Amino acid sequence: MKAVFIAYNQAHDEAVKEAMEKLFIKGFTMWQQVTGEGSKEGEPHLGSHAWPTLNSALISFMDDDAAKKLKAKLEELDSIKDRLGLRVFIWSIDN
Amino acid sequence: MSLFSSAVKKPITTALIFVAIAIFGIFSLITLPIDLFPHIESNSVMVMTSYAGASASDIENNISKPIENTLNSVSYLKHISSASRENVSVVTLEFQYGRDIEDATNDIRDKLEMVKSSLPDGAGSPVIFKFGSDDIPILVLSVTAKESMPGLYKIMDETIVNELARVNGVGSVSVSGIPKREIMVLCDPYKLDAYNLTIESISSLIAAENRNIPAGSLETGSNTYSLRVQKEFNNAREIENLVVGSYNGGNVYLKDVARVVDGLQERSQESYINGHLGGMIIIQKQTGENSVNIVKKVEEELPRLEKKLPSDVKIGVVVDTTDNIVRTIGSLEKTIVITLLIVMLVVFFFLGRWRATIIILITIPISLLASLVYLFATGNTLNMISMSSLSIAIGMVVDAAIVVLENITTHIDNGSNPKQAAVYATNEVAMAVVASSLTTLAVFLPMTLVSGLAGIMFRQLGWMVSIVITVSTLCALALTPMMCSRMLRAKNKDKDSKWYKILFTPINKALDWLSRTYAKILDWALRHKRIVVAIAVAVLAAVGAICGPLLKSEFIPEQDNGRISVTVQLPVGTRQEITRDLALELDRRWRTEFPEIERLGLSEGTADSDNMFASMRSNGSHIISMNISVGSMEKRKRSIKEISNIMMSELAEYNQVRRFNVVAGGQSGGMGGQTVCQIDLYGYDFAATDAAAAQVSQMFKDLGVKQTVISRDDYIPEYQIDLDREKLALYGLNTATVATFLRNRINGAIASEYRESGDEYDIRVRYAPEYRESLKDVENITVYGSQGQAIKLRELGTVVEALTPPTINRKDRERYVSVTAPLPEGMATSDMNEAISQKIEEAGLPAGVSWKIGGTYDDQVSTFQSLGLLMVLIVILVFIVMASQFESLTYPFVIMFAVPFAFVGVLIGLVVTGTPMSIMAMVGAVMTIGIVVNNGIVLVDYANLNRERGMGIIRAVVDSGHSRLRPVLMTTLTTVLGMLPLALGRGEGSEVWRGMGMTVAWGLSVSTLVTLVFVPVLYTIFAAFGLTRSKKKRVKAIAEKEESK
Repeated sequence: MKAVFIAYNQAHDEAVKEAMEKLFIKGFTMWQQVTGEGSKEGEPHLGSHAWPTLNSALISFMDDDAAKKLKAKLEELDSIKDRLGLRVFIWSIDN
Repeated sequence: MSLFSSAVKKPITTALIFVAIAIFGIFSLITLPIDLFPHIESNSVMVMTSYAGASASDIENNISKPIENTLNSVSYLKHISSASRENVSVVTLEFQYGRDIEDATNDIRDKLEMVKSSLPDGAGSPVIFKFGSDDIPILVLSVTAKESMPGLYKIMDETIVNELARVNGVGSVSVSGIPKREIMVLCDPYKLDAYNLTIESISSLIAAENRNIPAGSLETGSNTYSLRVQKEFNNAREIENLVVGSYNGGNVYLKDVARVVDGLQERSQESYINGHLGGMIIIQKQTGENSVNIVKKVEEELPRLEKKLPSDVKIGVVVDTTDNIVRTIGSLEKTIVITLLIVMLVVFFFLGRWRATIIILITIPISLLASLVYLFATGNTLNMISMSSLSIAIGMVVDAAIVVLENITTHIDNGSNPKQAAVYATNEVAMAVVASSLTTLAVFLPMTLVSGLAGIMFRQLGWMVSIVITVSTLCALALTPMMCSRMLRAKNKDKDSKWYKILFTPINKALDWLSRTYAKILDWALRHKRIVVAIAVAVLAAVGAICGPLLKSEFIPEQDNGRISVTVQLPVGTRQEITRDLALELDRRWRTEFPEIERLGLSEGTADSDNMFASMRSNGSHIISMNISVGSMEKRKRSIKEISNIMMSELAEYNQVRRFNVVAGGQSGGMGGQTVCQIDLYGYDFAATDAAAAQVSQMFKDLGVKQTVISRDDYIPEYQIDLDREKLALYGLNTATVATFLRNRINGAIASEYRESGDEYDIRVRYAPEYRESLKDVENITVYGSQGQAIKLRELGTVVEALTPPTINRKDRERYVSVTAPLPEGMATSDMNEAISQKIEEAGLPAGVSWKIGGTYDDQVSTFQSLGLLMVLIVILVFIVMASQFESLTYPFVIMFAVPFAFVGVLIGLVVTGTPMSIMAMVGAVMTIGIVVNNGIVLVDYANLNRERGMGIIRAVVDSGHSRLRPVLMTTLTTVLGMLPLALGRGEGSEVWRGMGMTVAWGLSVSTLVTLVFVPVLYTIFAAFGLTRSKKKRVKAIAEKEESK
């Protein structure tokens, strides 16, 4: 079992949900509006005057296989629209 | 859920809401009546009091003065003036604009109750009249006829007058210049004397004979018959054969002593239309009705009525007060369309995408139509003010939508889904959009609070633009994101069509070059702050010093409405024939000299007393009044001002003309009428003020004025019969009886009415014209004493030539005379006021005479004052809005520096184009304040953003300039170019709003240029100052900490 945490620009919202649906991943917990900043590059998403964009964050628990597929799909999405920002983090959890 | 996210999620609802607004707007547009100006309620009330037999000075002391003193305490009174002439006193109260006139009338009524008891016993009750612009005739029709002339009055009365009076909204219809039919019994005084008959006995006999009397009923057998004596005259011949007396046993018939003429009234007013004898039909509207609608209805009605008329009767239009309104609104409509096209081009030029252009432009009709709903709901009209507000607003409504669209486009180009980008991108700029709309509202909402004349004029402008801006902001926050989410796609550079590349590659290159160059200039300026500041201050001071004194001012610009009215007075007592000759000569001369003249209507002679309108204007056998129409200004080269100036110099050539008054525009003062300079001379002594008036009049002429009008008439010569009371008593007579004798013989006695097919005609008995031509004829009138003895009038008294004193005019409780002069060409009100004041100061006036500039001058001063106050209020409000947006006092202060430079632009513009500062230009200047700060807001906001993102001050500012130049140029160009059609308009009425367009266009252009360089420089100075201060603080704090350790 894996925990997948996705932090992404709000603009990716529909694409992320679509990706999950395609892989039949149903359960998730989501934060609609969160702020954040990448550790290496990209613009901060702070909802402030200077950086007005905002992120959403989503955590979901799934099989190892599904997690792998989702990560691949989302990373592909990120590479197409690299200026928006999307990160996927996966870690193992006890069941 | 926010406005824009629900708009994007419910596109159908959103679209339909705006469609509904548009439909309401279109409905309003169709039903809205049009007018020249917003409805201005009349602000004056007249109180008329009669006191039979009193002279002008008696009236002044006993009636006018007490009434003035009492009414002076009515609140909101601006001026109280009075005219005291023989038998009657008219006190006029002029209130400040905006005072409820009903309320004022009640106040006046209460006060009059108080004063009534102190008026002389013989004086009548004071009567209150309200006279306003609604009482001015809206349409004057001409009627010409050949064969039908004798019966024309009846034809007009039956077919035209009654029918037109039935048209909705028409107040009264009167016929002037067409003589009425009258049965005249013209007596020979010698024959009357011979048969011992008098005019009185003949007229009472005619009255007694012309009767139908019921005599009860008669019952015979089973029937009842009514008895009647039916002896009314069936034709005029019957009157001739009346037996009026007997002499030596024989009957004396009326035809023996008089001739009976069934003809037309003597000596009535005559009217000529383009040289043809005819009459005029004068149409007034009901109070509060819309002139244009009524005239339209009347004109629809006319062709139907004309069919009923004999073929030789022709009806034309002499004065149509509404064609100018229709043309003015038409030219404003054209202006709006041109503005729309210009804005469309600018938007397309900068965006380069037709979908984006459509999204932006759709906000224009929707917001404009929404403001029409307001006009409709509040019962207003489409007028010069509301229409020019629309034109002003067009350039501003797109600003908010442009900002939103630009941000959404950026997000889409960065890879966002259009639907989401629409929501997030709008969210990002929503605050900025609302704030910049608020600064605009901060200018226009206070306009709705101004009082006085300016308030009436600009309340509508304030509301209209406020509504347009509010709706356009709503559009930008709901409709624009919705449409963007549906219509915009990510830009694919490879897919651009060929023509797009051909067209927009150079444009984009040019704009990029412009941005780069600007960034370079800015970079230089930021490194040479002192020089830039010095140059700016120098320019400000220089323009102020050079252009300030050259600035002229006027109240409301004169409008060329294609009408000229002329009044010519010959010496009092000139016979009508001589007046007519001169009138026709002028008519011929002018119609050949001025091919521009479309219609020339003139009338001369004494008006009939039952013609309200004609008898209210000055009339008499020595007065000619003309109404000249020269048509639309677009079709002629000479302005009405030029034409009337030529007319003035020509009239001055005629020696027999005693006074003349040529008024370009048909009316002086008021809205868009002729601007005049008026000097009021105050003083008790008639001789002194007369001399002063002549002196001032000459001064005006020295200044190039062609005609002056002095309000006080000369002493009017007349014949008075001075009766000797003792002699009267001897014959058992009194003044009243003798006066009646005299009147019946000269003016005639109305004996009875002759009835024919439902109409009544006067039967007038008087001396035949050949027996009332000279003074001798008057002296030879026979009067009968109480015992029947015949006495000649000359035995009872003497006929003397005397002078009646003129009307005594008072203003603000002091006697005054006014001298009025229309301005010569190329002179503004302020020039003339200055020049004449200087002349009067130099020459001095006779002792006991004081003077003041009168007319609309004090209206002008108070309006300019209230606009000045408004300007201060607006500056403060705009500052507050900006300060709250930036949460800082420094940045708004920096941005506010654009305002003085806007005024520099306004000054240069007005001086260069020679436009005087009118109240329209002043309002333009006021508007500029709110518009100029917007560019500053954009620049400073972005510079702040850059600094928050970690840039240094100079880099932040240069980058902000580089990246924001496009939007700044775009919004400025839409506004400035949107003003151009107003500023350069040549159409009907454009004189009035040209000043407004001019000030905004110049002010905004100059201030934008300055804002782009000077404001960033100031920003750096203040930001650096702030930085050093906080650095010092930090250093100090650290030092203190270390010390405490």
